[in-house]
Amino acid sequence: MTEPVRLLSVAPSPAFWVAVALYALAGAALLAVLGGKTKLRPLALGIVIAAFVAHGTDIGWRGTQNVHPAQSVREAIGFLAWLLTGGYLLTSLRYRFTLGGVVIMPVAVVLLVLARLTPAGEAAPDQLGALGRIHISLATLGVGVFAIASAVSAIYLAENRALKRKQFDAIAFKDRGAPLEALDRLAHRLIWVGFPIFTIALVLGAVWVSRLGHSLDRLEYPLAAVTWLAYATLLIARQVYGWRGRRAALLTLEGFACALAVLLIYLARRMVE
Amino acid sequence: MSELFVVGISWRTAPVAVRERLAFREEELALAVQAITARLPVAEVLLISTCNRVEVYGVAKPGSDAATAVRGFMIEQRKVKAADMDDVLYEYRGAAAIRHVFRVASALDSLVVGEAQILGQLKAAYRMADASGTSGPVLSRALERAFGVAKRVRTETSIARGAANVSSVAVELASRVFGNLAGKNVLVVGAGKMSALAARHLYASGAQRIVVTNRSPAKAEALAAEIEGVAKPWEQLEDHLVEADVVISSTGAREPILTKKLFKTVTKRRRYRQMMVIDIAVPRDAETSINELDQVYLFNIDDLDKVVQANLAERAKAAEHAGKIVEHEAGQFEQWLRTQDVVPTIRALREHFAQVADAEVQKALDQLARKEHTRDQQRELVQRVVQLVVNKLLHHPTAALRESADDATLRAAVVCELFGLEPGDADEVVAEPPQPEQAPDAPEHKKAQA
Repeated sequence: MTEPVRLLSVAPSPAFWVAVALYALAGAALLAVLGGKTKLRPLALGIVIAAFVAHGTDIGWRGTQNVHPAQSVREAIGFLAWLLTGGYLLTSLRYRFTLGGVVIMPVAVVLLVLARLTPAGEAAPDQLGALGRIHISLATLGVGVFAIASAVSAIYLAENRALKRKQFDAIAFKDRGAPLEALDRLAHRLIWVGFPIFTIALVLGAVWVSRLGHSLDRLEYPLAAVTWLAYATLLIARQVYGWRGRRAALLTLEGFACALAVLLIYLARRMVE
Repeated sequence: MSELFVVGISWRTAPVAVRERLAFREEELALAVQAITARLPVAEVLLISTCNRVEVYGVAKPGSDAATAVRGFMIEQRKVKAADMDDVLYEYRGAAAIRHVFRVASALDSLVVGEAQILGQLKAAYRMADASGTSGPVLSRALERAFGVAKRVRTETSIARGAANVSSVAVELASRVFGNLAGKNVLVVGAGKMSALAARHLYASGAQRIVVTNRSPAKAEALAAEIEGVAKPWEQLEDHLVEADVVISSTGAREPILTKKLFKTVTKRRRYRQMMVIDIAVPRDAETSINELDQVYLFNIDDLDKVVQANLAERAKAAEHAGKIVEHEAGQFEQWLRTQDVVPTIRALREHFAQVADAEVQKALDQLARKEHTRDQQRELVQRVVQLVVNKLLHHPTAALRESADDATLRAAVVCELFGLEPGDADEVVAEPPQPEQAPDAPEHKKAQA
C-alpha cells in the first residue's frame, strides 16, 4: 500500500470564494442591524450560517484532496476563521451579540485572504507527523477560543467605558448589547475552555520542535509562553483575588495579542523562507 | 345620525384638584353608564375615569343634543358648579370625536406620550360598558378600530420606546449591567418617598431580594413589608453593601454616606463583582469618585434625568408620525361610518317602494280574479296600477317639498340631484295639483308604448 500524497494546500474550491463573499455580506448586514435595521437580524444571521456552511464545505473538500485543516499554518488560519464563525453562532444562540459579529465577520475575511496570499510552502513528509498535526489542530482551536473571548472582552470594555461615561447611546449599546455581567462571565468561561487546549498544544509543540532538532530561541516560542502565562495569571487571579471585569478583559486582550503575534511571525517566516 | 361624541376633562384642561371632583370610582361606573342610557337621549355610552382623564364616549339618539345632556349629567352627578366646568369640560362630535378616541387609545393624548397604560384602561372601560349593556354597534366599531390604530402606532413608530421616568431608567440601566433583575440583591438605602418609588419599580420589574435599610428602623420595616423585602439595621451598612448588586440611595443626609473609602473596602470584600449604585438623593448620598472604582457604576439623578429627557424628545418626534397615522385612520373610519349611515336609509327606501308596488299589484290581481275583463279593461287596469303606484310614491316627497319653508331651495336641489332632473322638470312636478286622481301625463305613456 502506498502512502497517500499529503499536500500542504490546494487551490480553493468555488465554495471558498462563496464563503469569502458571504462573510463580507454578513458583516455588512450585521452592521445594518447595529445601525437600527433590526428587521434584518434573521437575514444577517442566515447569511452567517450560509457562510459557515460554505466554508465548511471547502474544508471538507480539501479533506478529500488529502489536505488536513492542520496541515500547515496556512490551512490552520482558514480553519481558525471557521471556528470563530462557529463560536459566534453558538454565542448568538444565547445573547444578542451583533457587535461581536460586526467584528468577527471582517476578521474572517481578512484571515481567509491572508491564508490565500501566503505561499503554501513545502514540508518534508517526515516533518509533519501526527504530532505536528495534533499540535497545529489544538493550537488553532485554542487560539480560536481565545479570539472569541477577546472579542467578548473588547465589547465588555466598550460597554464599560460607555456606561462609566454615561454615554447611553454609544455604539456598544446599539441593538441592545449583552449585559456586562454576562459578557464578563462568558469571557471567563471561554478562557477556562481554551486554556487546557492551548496548554497541551504548547507542550506538544515544544516536543515536536525539539524532535525536529530546531533550537527554541525563535521569537515566537517565548511569545507563545507569554500568551500562556497571561491566561494562567488571569485564571489564578480571578480564583484567588476575584479579578474580573476591566482588568480581566485587558489581560485577555494582551494575551491574545501575543498569540496573534506568534501567528503572524509564523506567516512572515513562511513568506521569507 | 349615529354620531359619536365625547364629553370629558383631562390633564390638558384641568389640574388634578378639578379632575378628582369629576372622577368616578370603579364601583360607580356601571351605574353611571346605565343612568346615562336610561335618562338621556344616548343610544350607546362608555365611561372612562383615570387619574388623568374622565371622559364619556357616547352615541346620540337621532336628532338629540346628547353631548350637552351628558355634560349636564356629569355636573349634576358630581355636584359641581356648572360655571366652573365651562372651560375645563370639552366636547367633540363626529369626526373630531373619532380622532380624539383614536388619539387617546394611541397614548398621544397622554401626559407622558406613549405610556401604554391608557390603552389597558380604555379596554377595561369598554369591557365594563359591554357588560353593562350600554355599548353598541357604533361604539364597539370605533373602539375596536381605536385599539387597532393604537397597535399600529406602537409597532410602526418608536413612541413607546425608551424609559420615560427616572425609576424605569434605573431599571433599564440595571439591565445593561445585569441583564435580569431576578436573583439580584437590591439594597434600598433610606426609606423616603423617592426610594420607595424606585424600590416599587424594581420590585415590579422582577427584583426578588430587596433589603431596606434606614436610620429609623420603623420606616424601613414599613417599606420592606410593602415590597416583600427585609429591613436590616442601619449600623451594618457595609455588610449590606457587600451583599448588594443594585443600590438605590435616597436619604436626607447632608454629607455623602457612600464614600470612596467605604466602597474600596466593599468592592474588595465582594471580589469586584459588578455593582450598580443609583443615587437619587439631593444633596447626593454617594461620592462621585466611586464611579472610578472598577465594576462600580454610579448614576445620580441628573444622569437618569438626562436619559428621560432624551427619550421624551425621541417620543415627541415619534408622536408627529403617529399623529399622521391617527389622522389617516380616523379619516378612513369616518368615511366608512358615513357609508354605514346610509345603508339603513337605502334599505328602508327599497322596502317602501316594494311594499307600495306589491300592494297595488295585489289589488289589481284580486280584481282580475273576481270577474272577467275584456282586453281594453285589462289595459286600463294596468295603466291605473302603474299610475297609482307612482302617485303613492310621489305623494310624500311632493307634500314635503311643498311644506318646506326655509330650506325649500335646498330640498328642491336635493330632489333634482337624487332623480337627475333638469330645473324645468322640477317646476312641473311642483305645479301638480294636490290630489291627482287622474294622471296628467297618462297619454304620454300611451304614446311611448305605441
